[in-house]
Amino acid sequence: MGYFVLAIAVVFMFAGCGSPPAQELDAAKASIQGAAAAGAEKYAPEDLKKLNDRLSAANDEIKAQEGKWFKSYDKAKEMLVKLKADADALKPTIAAKKEQAKNNATAAQNAAKGAVDKAKNLLAKAPAGKESRAEIEAMKADVKGLEEGLAEVGKLVAAEDYRPAADKAKAISEKAAAVSDQVKKAMEKVAAAKKAKK
Amino acid sequence: MFFRCTGPPIPREVKQAEILEHDLWGTGGPQYAPQEYQSYKFALRKAKDDLIRESSKFFLFRDYGYVQAELRALLKEGERLRIAIQNRKDSRASGVERQIAAAQARIEKLGRLASTVNEGYLARRTLTKAGVALIEADLLHKKGEFDSAQERFNRLNGYLGDAQETLAPIFTRYTDQTQIAKWRRWVEETVSESRNRGSVAIVVSKIDRRLILYQTGSLFKSYPIAIGRNGSSSKLHAGDRATPEGKYWIVRKLSMSKYYKALLINYPNEDDKDMFVSAKKRGKIPRSVGIGGRVEIHGGGKDGMTYGCIALDNDHMDEIFAMVDVGTNVTIVGSTDDDNDISSALEGL
Repeated sequence: MGYFVLAIAVVFMFAGCGSPPAQELDAAKASIQGAAAAGAEKYAPEDLKKLNDRLSAANDEIKAQEGKWFKSYDKAKEMLVKLKADADALKPTIAAKKEQAKNNATAAQNAAKGAVDKAKNLLAKAPAGKESRAEIEAMKADVKGLEEGLAEVGKLVAAEDYRPAADKAKAISEKAAAVSDQVKKAMEKVAAAKKAKK
Repeated sequence: MFFRCTGPPIPREVKQAEILEHDLWGTGGPQYAPQEYQSYKFALRKAKDDLIRESSKFFLFRDYGYVQAELRALLKEGERLRIAIQNRKDSRASGVERQIAAAQARIEKLGRLASTVNEGYLARRTLTKAGVALIEADLLHKKGEFDSAQERFNRLNGYLGDAQETLAPIFTRYTDQTQIAKWRRWVEETVSESRNRGSVAIVVSKIDRRLILYQTGSLFKSYPIAIGRNGSSSKLHAGDRATPEGKYWIVRKLSMSKYYKALLINYPNEDDKDMFVSAKKRGKIPRSVGIGGRVEIHGGGKDGMTYGCIALDNDHMDEIFAMVDVGTNVTIVGSTDDDNDISSALEGL
């Protein structure tokens, strides 16, 4: 009888160890993949890396238990449940970061358009005297080049390449401001030449 | 039987090695030392697997000694890798800075070249796009995004290549030894004739923007001028805004014209007519376009551009007008100097 009880106890001991947390593992993986699909690699690369590292640590914990006589997957389960929750919580923050990047790109695009329009308007007012004709023509070509750049910014925004779009837009703004300065100087030159003739 | 058994502690080096792996990733391991970074990760994985294997043994038989030694060696290697990554980043940063400086210089050179030949459209537009790409590359360089900066340089070099291609038909003539020798010969013949006849002659150098007055074969005076909108090219047809090249003479003196005083020359001469006919046959000139004419040396000011004529300040025009006659030779050349502004500007491009 004693041996029978002992045998039952041993059976219960091994039966009570539980099975590997396959469900929790799949759920955590799916959540991380979901975060990656939502753009984590672009907008939250460090968070994504940490999630993947934690997944690896959970796998190590499972492996460690598998090699033991007395297995317990409680810790691994706990790790995976928390991992899934954190991966799920990351998704809305990625959406917010993406929206912020979009707003930044759009703001930069508008600023660039404004700067190019300013240069264009100044050029339209610039007197095309003999003294300035070559310069004015050249600056009109500059504006044309900048307008082509603006079209490229539009394409980048449409393709959701927000950071390159913002960088290009800032560069266009800087160049357009330089053209506006040149136009003003050319106008001053013409005015000075007119004054000298009088 | 069910008392709690503990074995030797897990080596703390495993956590340190994990933190170091994360640091190496964060500082650019995958970009700047991909193979070494992967080797580190592989070695860390192996050390962890060895740790798991050892952990699964009965506590009395566990020995983390060799795992600890593995991890310590890995940490040393990781620190070396950290330094190597930083060195490579610094090297990339320097490389990008050099590229920025070189690209800036090239843009400026081509810009000056475009101005010299009055190319204020296609090349200029392309150079502006190159300028935008350069600013982008600089922004990315400051953020440490060197791969993206390099992509912008590749684009920028494409634009500069396009600009050079646009300018090439105009400026290659000014580096062509045969062409320059021909121009030089025209000038020598003109000056020689001025000497032999004891007469006045005009020589115009387009690249220098100068009109030189010779008297009895000696340089009398040199005047600054303006030429055509596309003056660096040789005039081929009406409306091309180029200033012709060749040996001409004054056919008429106009004391009153649209641009103060004017000296009408005999463009087109026989060479001009031959070139026009040849270009028409090759389809280089639209059918409805004529050869043009009414090319003058006139006043009205040297600043700006003309439609192909040669313009001077009025007071200079007065001087020249007084000295020349109908029949005075007028020789117009691109340049007589091998080392002219265009050939110099082309150096290093």
